[in-house]
Amino acid sequence: MSVPLSQMLTVATYVLRQRLAGRPRYPLVLMLEPLFRCNLACAGCGKIQYPAQILKKHLTVERCLAAVDECGAPMVSIPGGEPLMYPEIGRLVKELVARRKFVYLCTNAVLLRAKLEDGLFEPSTYLSFSVHMDGLREEHDEAVCRDGVFDEAVDAIREALRRGFRVTTNTTLFDGANPLRMREFFDAMMDLGVEGMMVSPGYSYSKAPDQEHFLRRQRAHELFSRMFSNPARRWKFNQSPLFLRFLMGKQDFECTPWGNPTYNMFGWQRPCYLLQEGYAGSFKELLETTRWEAYGRSSGNEKCRDCMVHCGYEPTAVHHTFGSWRGFRDSVVATVSGRL
Amino acid sequence: MTDETLEGWAPEIGRGVTLEEVVDRAFDYRGNVTVVRADGAELEGFLFNRDRDVPRPFVELFDPNGDGPLRILYADIRAIRFTGKDPAAGNSYAAWLRAKEQKKRATEPTAGGA
Ligand code: SF4
Ligand code: SF4
Repeated sequence: MSVPLSQMLTVATYVLRQRLAGRPRYPLVLMLEPLFRCNLACAGCGKIQYPAQILKKHLTVERCLAAVDECGAPMVSIPGGEPLMYPEIGRLVKELVARRKFVYLCTNAVLLRAKLEDGLFEPSTYLSFSVHMDGLREEHDEAVCRDGVFDEAVDAIREALRRGFRVTTNTTLFDGANPLRMREFFDAMMDLGVEGMMVSPGYSYSKAPDQEHFLRRQRAHELFSRMFSNPARRWKFNQSPLFLRFLMGKQDFECTPWGNPTYNMFGWQRPCYLLQEGYAGSFKELLETTRWEAYGRSSGNEKCRDCMVHCGYEPTAVHHTFGSWRGFRDSVVATVSGRL
Repeated sequence: MTDETLEGWAPEIGRGVTLEEVVDRAFDYRGNVTVVRADGAELEGFLFNRDRDVPRPFVELFDPNGDGPLRILYADIRAIRFTGKDPAAGNSYAAWLRAKEQKKRATEPTAGGA
Protein backbone atom coordinates (compact mmCIF):
# COMPACT_ATOMS: atom_id res chain seq x y z
CA MET A 1 0.00 0.00 0.00
CA SER A 2 1.21 3.47 -0.76
CA VAL A 3 -1.03 5.63 1.40
CA PRO A 4 0.85 8.12 3.65
CA LEU A 5 1.05 7.13 7.31
CA SER A 6 -0.96 10.16 8.43
CA GLN A 7 -3.83 9.13 6.16
CA MET A 8 -3.67 5.55 7.31
CA LEU A 9 -3.74 6.62 10.95
CA THR A 10 -6.65 8.99 10.36
CA VAL A 11 -8.65 6.25 8.69
CA ALA A 12 -7.74 3.63 11.30
CA THR A 13 -8.69 5.95 14.16
CA TYR A 14 -11.92 6.88 12.44
CA VAL A 15 -12.93 3.25 11.84
CA LEU A 16 -12.10 2.28 15.44
CA ARG A 17 -14.10 5.24 16.75
CA GLN A 18 -17.12 4.20 14.70
CA ARG A 19 -16.85 0.65 15.95
CA LEU A 20 -16.45 1.72 19.57
CA ALA A 21 -19.52 3.93 19.16
CA GLY A 22 -21.36 0.82 17.93
CA ARG A 23 -22.33 2.43 14.61
CA PRO A 24 -23.53 -0.30 12.28
CA ARG A 25 -23.23 1.91 9.20
CA TYR A 26 -20.69 4.64 8.65
CA PRO A 27 -19.19 6.32 5.58
CA LEU A 28 -15.54 6.10 4.64
CA VAL A 29 -15.29 8.09 1.41
CA LEU A 30 -17.80 10.68 0.28
CA MET A 31 -18.21 10.59 -3.49
CA LEU A 32 -18.91 14.25 -4.19
CA GLU A 33 -20.08 15.05 -7.70
CA PRO A 34 -20.28 18.83 -8.10
CA LEU A 35 -21.21 18.53 -11.79
CA PHE A 36 -21.80 16.04 -14.59
CA ARG A 37 -20.16 18.05 -17.38
CA CYS A 38 -17.09 16.57 -18.97
CA ASN A 39 -14.65 17.46 -21.74
CA LEU A 40 -14.50 13.85 -22.87
CA ALA A 41 -17.27 11.51 -23.91
CA CYS A 42 -16.00 8.05 -23.09
CA ALA A 43 -18.15 5.21 -24.32
CA GLY A 44 -19.67 3.35 -21.42
CA CYS A 45 -19.85 6.43 -19.19
CA GLY A 46 -23.43 7.01 -18.06
CA LYS A 47 -22.40 9.96 -15.89
CA ILE A 48 -22.47 12.47 -18.72
CA GLN A 49 -25.67 11.40 -20.43
CA TYR A 50 -28.08 14.07 -19.29
CA PRO A 51 -30.06 16.84 -20.96
CA ALA A 52 -28.41 20.23 -21.42
CA GLN A 53 -29.92 21.92 -18.37
CA ILE A 54 -28.46 19.24 -16.10
CA LEU A 55 -25.03 19.36 -17.74
CA LYS A 56 -24.98 23.15 -17.34
CA LYS A 57 -25.82 22.98 -13.64
CA HIS A 58 -23.42 22.48 -10.75
CA LEU A 59 -23.52 22.48 -6.99
CA THR A 60 -22.40 25.53 -5.05
CA VAL A 61 -19.32 25.18 -2.85
CA GLU A 62 -21.57 25.78 0.14
CA ARG A 63 -23.80 22.85 -0.75
CA CYS A 64 -20.74 20.66 -1.28
CA LEU A 65 -19.33 21.62 2.12
CA ALA A 66 -22.67 21.11 3.85
CA ALA A 67 -22.74 17.58 2.41
CA VAL A 68 -19.16 16.95 3.54
CA ASP A 69 -19.94 18.12 7.07
CA GLU A 70 -23.20 16.21 7.20
CA CYS A 71 -21.55 12.99 6.05
CA GLY A 72 -18.41 13.21 8.20
CA ALA A 73 -16.32 10.76 6.12
CA PRO A 74 -12.56 11.31 6.49
CA MET A 75 -11.98 11.07 2.73
CA VAL A 76 -13.67 12.90 -0.12
CA SER A 77 -13.42 11.74 -3.68
CA ILE A 78 -14.44 14.26 -6.33
CA PRO A 79 -15.41 12.47 -9.50
CA GLY A 80 -17.78 13.88 -12.06
CA GLY A 81 -18.10 14.76 -14.86
CA GLU A 82 -14.72 16.40 -14.96
CA PRO A 83 -14.12 18.25 -11.69
CA LEU A 84 -11.55 20.55 -13.27
CA MET A 85 -14.44 22.04 -15.28
CA TYR A 86 -16.15 23.02 -12.03
CA PRO A 87 -15.66 26.79 -11.85
CA GLU A 88 -15.03 26.73 -8.09
CA ILE A 89 -12.82 23.66 -7.88
CA GLY A 90 -9.90 25.67 -6.40
CA ARG A 91 -12.01 27.06 -3.56
CA LEU A 92 -13.72 23.73 -2.92
CA VAL A 93 -10.42 21.88 -2.59
CA LYS A 94 -8.99 24.61 -0.36
CA GLU A 95 -11.98 24.35 1.98
CA LEU A 96 -11.77 20.57 2.11
CA VAL A 97 -8.06 20.63 2.86
CA ALA A 98 -8.71 23.19 5.60
CA ARG A 99 -11.17 20.66 7.07
CA ARG A 100 -8.38 18.04 6.95
CA LYS A 101 -10.27 15.84 4.56
CA PHE A 102 -8.17 13.58 2.36
CA VAL A 103 -9.25 14.66 -1.10
CA TYR A 104 -8.99 12.55 -4.24
CA LEU A 105 -9.64 14.77 -7.22
CA CYS A 106 -10.51 12.31 -9.99
CA THR A 107 -9.61 13.84 -13.32
CA ASN A 108 -9.01 12.84 -16.90
CA ALA A 109 -6.10 15.34 -16.67
CA VAL A 110 -6.87 17.08 -19.96
CA LEU A 111 -7.08 20.40 -18.11
CA LEU A 112 -4.67 19.58 -15.32
CA ARG A 113 -1.52 21.23 -16.66
CA ALA A 114 -3.39 24.49 -17.36
CA LYS A 115 -4.98 24.52 -13.89
CA LEU A 116 -1.61 23.86 -12.25
CA GLU A 117 -0.03 26.68 -14.25
CA ASP A 118 -2.89 28.95 -13.12
CA GLY A 119 -1.85 28.20 -9.54
CA LEU A 120 -5.28 26.87 -8.63
CA PHE A 121 -3.97 24.28 -6.18
CA GLU A 122 -1.28 24.01 -3.55
CA PRO A 123 0.51 20.74 -2.79
CA SER A 124 -0.73 19.11 0.40
CA THR A 125 -0.76 15.70 2.05
CA TYR A 126 -4.52 16.09 1.96
CA LEU A 127 -4.76 16.47 -1.81
CA SER A 128 -4.17 13.80 -4.46
CA PHE A 129 -4.89 14.02 -8.14
CA SER A 130 -6.36 10.69 -9.08
CA VAL A 131 -5.79 10.53 -12.81
CA HIS A 132 -8.06 8.41 -14.96
CA MET A 133 -5.78 6.00 -16.85
CA ASP A 134 -7.36 2.93 -18.40
CA GLY A 135 -4.11 1.38 -19.56
CA LEU A 136 -1.24 2.14 -21.89
CA ARG A 137 -1.60 4.63 -24.78
CA GLU A 138 -3.57 2.39 -27.12
CA GLU A 139 -5.97 1.03 -24.50
CA HIS A 140 -6.48 4.36 -22.78
CA ASP A 141 -7.14 6.39 -25.91
CA GLU A 142 -9.56 3.74 -27.04
CA ALA A 143 -11.39 3.74 -23.69
CA VAL A 144 -11.76 7.54 -23.67
CA CYS A 145 -12.66 7.61 -27.37
CA ARG A 146 -10.04 10.22 -28.24
CA ASP A 147 -6.51 9.92 -29.49
CA GLY A 148 -3.80 11.82 -27.66
CA VAL A 149 -5.40 11.82 -24.21
CA PHE A 150 -2.91 9.35 -22.78
CA ASP A 151 0.01 11.61 -23.73
CA GLU A 152 -1.76 14.67 -22.32
CA ALA A 153 -2.39 12.83 -19.06
CA VAL A 154 1.22 11.64 -18.79
CA ASP A 155 2.46 15.17 -19.40
CA ALA A 156 0.09 16.53 -16.71
CA ILE A 157 1.13 13.83 -14.24
CA ARG A 158 4.79 14.75 -14.74
CA GLU A 159 3.99 18.42 -14.18
CA ALA A 160 1.96 17.71 -11.04
CA LEU A 161 4.73 15.53 -9.61
CA ARG A 162 7.34 18.16 -10.48
CA ARG A 163 5.31 20.67 -8.49
CA GLY A 164 5.19 18.39 -5.47
CA PHE A 165 1.62 17.12 -5.68
CA ARG A 166 0.47 13.66 -4.71
CA VAL A 167 -0.62 11.81 -7.84
CA THR A 168 -2.35 8.46 -8.10
CA THR A 169 -4.02 6.76 -11.04
CA ASN A 170 -7.45 5.15 -11.26
CA THR A 171 -8.10 2.44 -13.77
CA THR A 172 -11.37 0.82 -14.73
CA LEU A 173 -10.91 -2.48 -16.47
CA PHE A 174 -13.23 -3.48 -19.24
CA ASP A 175 -13.90 -6.80 -20.83
CA GLY A 176 -11.03 -7.95 -22.97
CA ALA A 177 -8.34 -6.27 -20.86
CA ASN A 178 -4.97 -7.90 -21.38
CA PRO A 179 -3.23 -8.83 -18.10
CA LEU A 180 0.25 -8.66 -19.62
CA ARG A 181 -0.39 -5.19 -21.03
CA MET A 182 -1.74 -4.18 -17.61
CA ARG A 183 1.45 -5.37 -15.95
CA GLU A 184 3.38 -3.20 -18.42
CA PHE A 185 1.02 -0.37 -17.55
CA PHE A 186 1.76 -0.77 -13.81
CA ASP A 187 5.49 -0.61 -14.60
CA ALA A 188 4.97 2.49 -16.74
CA MET A 189 3.03 4.28 -14.00
CA MET A 190 5.68 3.43 -11.42
CA ASP A 191 8.36 4.71 -13.83
CA LEU A 192 6.41 7.95 -14.05
CA GLY A 193 6.64 8.25 -10.28
CA VAL A 194 3.00 8.14 -9.21
CA GLU A 195 2.38 7.46 -5.54
CA GLY A 196 0.04 4.56 -6.13
CA MET A 197 -2.53 3.04 -8.45
CA MET A 198 -6.18 2.14 -8.01
CA VAL A 199 -7.87 -0.50 -10.12
CA SER A 200 -11.44 -1.65 -10.31
CA PRO A 201 -13.50 -3.72 -12.68
CA GLY A 202 -16.17 -1.90 -14.63
CA TYR A 203 -19.78 -2.47 -13.80
CA SER A 204 -22.98 -3.13 -15.70
CA TYR A 205 -25.35 -0.68 -14.07
CA SER A 206 -28.82 -0.04 -15.32
CA LYS A 207 -28.15 3.39 -16.79
CA ALA A 208 -24.78 2.50 -18.30
CA PRO A 209 -25.09 2.11 -22.01
CA ASP A 210 -22.84 -0.90 -22.36
CA GLN A 211 -23.72 -3.60 -19.97
CA GLU A 212 -22.26 -6.37 -22.04
CA HIS A 213 -18.86 -4.71 -22.09
CA PHE A 214 -18.12 -4.93 -18.44
CA LEU A 215 -16.45 -7.72 -16.69
CA ARG A 216 -18.43 -10.58 -15.31
CA ARG A 217 -17.42 -11.84 -11.94
CA GLN A 218 -15.66 -15.05 -12.87
CA ARG A 219 -13.77 -13.60 -15.74
CA ALA A 220 -12.79 -10.74 -13.49
CA HIS A 221 -11.22 -13.08 -10.90
CA GLU A 222 -9.25 -14.73 -13.65
CA LEU A 223 -8.09 -11.45 -15.10
CA PHE A 224 -7.03 -9.99 -11.76
CA SER A 225 -5.29 -13.21 -10.72
CA ARG A 226 -3.19 -13.11 -13.86
CA MET A 227 -2.57 -9.42 -13.48
CA PHE A 228 -1.48 -9.52 -9.84
CA SER A 229 0.29 -12.88 -9.72
CA ASN A 230 3.91 -12.40 -8.61
CA PRO A 231 3.43 -8.66 -8.33
CA ALA A 232 6.55 -6.58 -8.86
CA ARG A 233 7.71 -5.22 -5.52
CA ARG A 234 7.78 -1.70 -6.87
CA TRP A 235 4.09 -1.70 -7.78
CA LYS A 236 2.23 0.43 -5.30
CA PHE A 237 -1.52 0.34 -4.98
CA ASN A 238 -3.47 3.07 -3.29
CA GLN A 239 -6.04 0.61 -2.03
CA SER A 240 -6.43 -2.09 0.54
CA PRO A 241 -4.48 -5.29 -0.28
CA LEU A 242 -7.54 -7.20 0.92
CA PHE A 243 -9.61 -5.56 -1.83
CA LEU A 244 -7.02 -6.68 -4.38
CA ARG A 245 -7.21 -10.21 -2.96
CA PHE A 246 -10.98 -9.99 -3.26
CA LEU A 247 -10.63 -9.08 -6.93
CA MET A 248 -8.44 -12.14 -7.39
CA GLY A 249 -11.11 -14.33 -5.80
CA LYS A 250 -8.93 -15.09 -2.76
CA GLN A 251 -11.15 -13.30 -0.29
CA ASP A 252 -14.91 -13.21 -0.06
CA PHE A 253 -16.58 -9.97 0.90
CA GLU A 254 -20.10 -8.57 0.90
CA CYS A 255 -20.77 -5.09 -0.40
CA THR A 256 -20.90 -2.07 1.93
CA PRO A 257 -22.94 0.35 -0.20
CA TRP A 258 -23.13 3.05 2.48
CA GLY A 259 -19.30 3.05 2.77
CA ASN A 260 -18.86 5.38 -0.22
CA PRO A 261 -22.05 7.46 -0.27
CA THR A 262 -22.65 9.70 -3.30
CA TYR A 263 -23.87 13.27 -3.22
CA ASN A 264 -24.73 15.33 -6.29
CA MET A 265 -27.25 17.93 -7.50
CA PHE A 266 -30.03 15.35 -7.18
CA GLY A 267 -29.31 14.65 -3.50
CA TRP A 268 -27.94 11.57 -1.70
CA GLN A 269 -27.96 8.74 -4.18
CA ARG A 270 -29.53 5.41 -3.24
CA PRO A 271 -27.96 2.95 -2.69
CA CYS A 272 -24.44 3.52 -4.05
CA TYR A 273 -22.26 5.31 -6.55
CA LEU A 274 -23.28 2.96 -9.36
CA LEU A 275 -26.97 2.34 -8.98
CA GLN A 276 -29.36 5.25 -9.18
CA GLU A 277 -32.50 4.03 -7.49
CA GLY A 278 -33.57 7.39 -6.14
CA TYR A 279 -32.35 10.20 -3.91
CA ALA A 280 -32.66 11.12 -0.26
CA GLY A 281 -32.78 14.70 0.98
CA SER A 282 -30.22 14.21 3.75
CA PHE A 283 -27.46 11.76 4.66
CA LYS A 284 -29.44 10.73 7.73
CA GLU A 285 -32.46 10.00 5.55
CA LEU A 286 -30.24 8.00 3.17
CA LEU A 287 -28.92 5.85 6.02
CA GLU A 288 -32.28 5.41 7.71
CA THR A 289 -34.64 4.93 4.81
CA THR A 290 -32.65 3.03 2.16
CA ARG A 291 -33.64 -0.63 2.05
CA TRP A 292 -30.03 -1.82 2.40
CA GLU A 293 -31.13 -5.44 2.63
CA ALA A 294 -32.14 -5.19 -1.05
CA TYR A 295 -28.52 -4.66 -2.16
CA GLY A 296 -25.31 -6.64 -2.19
CA ARG A 297 -24.76 -10.15 -3.44
CA SER A 298 -26.58 -11.96 -0.66
CA SER A 299 -29.71 -9.91 -1.38
CA GLY A 300 -30.14 -11.76 -4.66
CA ASN A 301 -30.55 -8.42 -6.41
CA GLU A 302 -29.68 -9.01 -10.06
CA LYS A 303 -28.00 -5.65 -10.34
CA CYS A 304 -25.56 -6.59 -7.58
CA ARG A 305 -24.85 -10.13 -8.68
CA ASP A 306 -21.68 -9.52 -10.66
CA CYS A 307 -20.58 -6.32 -9.02
CA MET A 308 -17.04 -6.17 -7.62
CA VAL A 309 -16.57 -2.46 -7.90
CA HIS A 310 -14.28 -0.65 -5.48
CA CYS A 311 -16.93 1.74 -4.17
CA GLY A 312 -18.90 -1.20 -2.77
CA TYR A 313 -16.13 -3.53 -1.68
CA GLU A 314 -13.17 -1.37 -0.74
CA PRO A 315 -15.03 -0.06 2.35
CA THR A 316 -15.66 -3.68 3.34
CA ALA A 317 -11.95 -4.41 2.99
CA VAL A 318 -11.01 -1.37 5.09
CA HIS A 319 -13.60 -2.25 7.71
CA HIS A 320 -12.19 -5.77 7.81
CA THR A 321 -8.61 -4.50 8.10
CA PHE A 322 -9.23 -2.25 11.06
CA GLY A 323 -12.12 -4.19 12.52
CA SER A 324 -10.54 -7.57 13.19
CA TRP A 325 -7.13 -8.89 14.20
CA ARG A 326 -7.24 -11.35 11.35
CA GLY A 327 -8.02 -8.65 8.81
CA PHE A 328 -5.26 -6.47 10.23
CA ARG A 329 -2.77 -9.34 10.17
CA ASP A 330 -3.65 -10.28 6.57
CA SER A 331 -3.26 -6.68 5.43
CA VAL A 332 0.08 -6.28 7.19
CA VAL A 333 1.38 -9.57 5.76
CA ALA A 334 0.31 -8.61 2.23
CA THR A 335 1.81 -5.13 2.58
CA VAL A 336 5.12 -6.26 4.08
CA SER A 337 5.65 -9.32 1.88
CA GLY A 338 4.41 -7.59 -1.28
CA ARG A 339 2.46 -10.78 -2.07
CA LEU A 340 -1.26 -10.83 -2.59
CA MET B 1 -27.11 -3.88 -25.51
CA THR B 2 -28.97 -2.27 -28.36
CA ASP B 3 -29.20 1.41 -29.05
CA GLU B 4 -32.98 1.35 -28.53
CA THR B 5 -34.54 4.48 -27.13
CA LEU B 6 -37.87 5.51 -25.66
CA GLU B 7 -37.59 8.90 -27.35
CA GLY B 8 -40.99 9.91 -28.67
CA TRP B 9 -42.88 7.31 -26.60
CA ALA B 10 -46.28 8.52 -25.40
CA PRO B 11 -47.82 5.62 -23.50
CA GLU B 12 -51.45 5.63 -22.51
CA ILE B 13 -51.54 4.78 -18.83
CA GLY B 14 -53.96 1.96 -18.06
CA ARG B 15 -53.67 0.44 -21.54
CA GLY B 16 -51.17 -2.33 -20.94
CA VAL B 17 -48.92 -0.14 -18.84
CA THR B 18 -49.38 1.17 -15.31
CA LEU B 19 -48.53 4.59 -13.96
CA GLU B 20 -45.81 3.04 -11.80
CA GLU B 21 -44.22 1.39 -14.82
CA VAL B 22 -44.25 4.57 -16.87
CA VAL B 23 -42.74 6.53 -13.97
CA ASP B 24 -39.99 3.92 -13.65
CA ARG B 25 -39.21 4.16 -17.36
CA ALA B 26 -39.21 7.96 -17.17
CA PHE B 27 -36.87 7.78 -14.17
CA ASP B 28 -34.46 5.63 -16.19
CA TYR B 29 -34.78 7.84 -19.26
CA ARG B 30 -31.84 10.15 -19.89
CA GLY B 31 -33.70 12.94 -21.68
CA ASN B 32 -36.45 15.35 -20.69
CA VAL B 33 -40.04 14.17 -20.38
CA THR B 34 -43.36 16.00 -20.30
CA VAL B 35 -45.60 15.26 -17.36
CA VAL B 36 -49.31 15.89 -17.91
CA ARG B 37 -51.09 16.64 -14.65
CA ALA B 38 -54.62 15.67 -13.74
CA ASP B 39 -55.84 19.20 -14.56
CA GLY B 40 -54.26 19.01 -18.02
CA ALA B 41 -51.31 21.31 -17.23
CA GLU B 42 -48.03 20.15 -18.77
CA LEU B 43 -44.63 20.30 -17.18
CA GLU B 44 -41.43 19.51 -19.05
CA GLY B 45 -38.17 18.52 -17.40
CA PHE B 46 -35.67 15.89 -16.37
CA LEU B 47 -37.31 13.43 -14.01
CA PHE B 48 -34.46 12.54 -11.66
CA ASN B 49 -36.22 11.10 -8.65
CA ARG B 50 -39.22 9.06 -7.69
CA ASP B 51 -40.26 7.61 -4.37
CA ARG B 52 -43.03 5.08 -4.01
CA ASP B 53 -42.13 3.99 -0.47
CA VAL B 54 -43.74 7.01 1.16
CA PRO B 55 -47.39 7.63 2.09
CA ARG B 56 -47.78 10.08 -0.84
CA PRO B 57 -45.56 8.81 -3.70
CA PHE B 58 -43.95 11.56 -5.79
CA VAL B 59 -41.61 12.33 -8.67
CA GLU B 60 -39.14 15.22 -8.88
CA LEU B 61 -37.97 17.16 -11.94
CA PHE B 62 -35.60 19.91 -12.98
CA ASP B 63 -37.29 22.06 -15.62
CA PRO B 64 -35.57 22.97 -18.94
CA ASN B 65 -33.93 25.99 -17.25
CA GLY B 66 -32.46 23.76 -14.59
CA ASP B 67 -34.78 25.15 -11.94
CA GLY B 68 -36.20 22.84 -9.34
CA PRO B 69 -36.66 20.39 -7.92
CA LEU B 70 -40.37 20.44 -8.74
CA ARG B 71 -42.34 17.77 -6.95
CA ILE B 72 -45.45 16.12 -8.42
CA LEU B 73 -47.51 13.48 -6.65
CA TYR B 74 -48.21 10.22 -8.48
CA ALA B 75 -51.88 10.88 -7.81
CA ASP B 76 -51.63 14.08 -9.85
CA ILE B 77 -50.07 12.49 -12.97
CA ARG B 78 -52.33 11.75 -15.94
CA ALA B 79 -49.61 10.93 -18.49
CA ILE B 80 -45.88 11.12 -19.19
CA ARG B 81 -44.50 11.63 -22.69
CA PHE B 82 -40.87 11.02 -23.59
CA THR B 83 -40.46 14.28 -25.47
CA GLY B 84 -36.79 15.18 -25.01
CA LYS B 85 -33.84 13.92 -27.01
CA ASP B 86 -32.29 10.79 -25.51
CA PRO B 87 -28.61 11.62 -24.88
CA ALA B 88 -27.82 7.94 -24.33
CA ALA B 89 -29.11 6.82 -27.72
CA GLY B 90 -26.45 5.83 -30.21
CA ASN B 91 -23.65 6.77 -27.82
CA SER B 92 -22.78 3.32 -26.69
CA TYR B 93 -19.31 1.83 -26.58
CA ALA B 94 -20.48 -0.71 -29.14
CA ALA B 95 -21.52 2.08 -31.54
CA TRP B 96 -18.14 3.76 -31.08
CA LEU B 97 -16.28 0.52 -31.77
CA ARG B 98 -18.39 -0.05 -34.89
CA ALA B 99 -17.60 3.44 -36.16
CA LYS B 100 -13.91 2.98 -35.40
CA GLU B 101 -13.83 -0.33 -37.24
CA GLN B 102 -15.54 1.23 -40.26
CA LYS B 103 -13.08 4.11 -40.28
CA LYS B 104 -10.16 1.70 -40.07
CA ARG B 105 -11.51 -0.34 -42.96
CA ALA B 106 -12.03 2.79 -45.03
CA THR B 107 -8.42 3.92 -44.58
CA GLU B 108 -6.84 0.49 -45.13
CA PRO B 109 -5.47 -0.02 -48.65
CA THR B 110 -7.69 -2.43 -50.55
CA ALA B 111 -6.20 -5.60 -51.97
CA GLY B 112 -4.49 -4.89 -55.25
CA GLY B 113 -4.77 -1.14 -54.65
CA ALA B 114 -1.96 1.34 -55.25
S1 SF4 C 1 -13.57 11.32 -18.37
FE1 SF4 C 1 -14.77 10.27 -16.78
S2 SF4 C 1 -16.62 11.49 -16.55
FE2 SF4 C 1 -15.66 12.12 -18.47
S3 SF4 C 1 -16.69 10.90 -20.01
FE3 SF4 C 1 -14.83 9.81 -19.43
S4 SF4 C 1 -15.44 8.40 -17.79
FE4 SF4 C 1 -17.09 9.91 -18.05
S1 SF4 D 1 -23.09 -4.67 -5.01
FE1 SF4 D 1 -23.03 -2.76 -3.84
S2 SF4 D 1 -21.77 -1.33 -5.03
FE2 SF4 D 1 -22.38 -3.01 -6.37
S3 SF4 D 1 -24.22 -2.27 -7.38
FE3 SF4 D 1 -24.89 -3.45 -5.58
S4 SF4 D 1 -25.09 -1.93 -3.96
FE4 SF4 D 1 -23.90 -0.97 -5.59
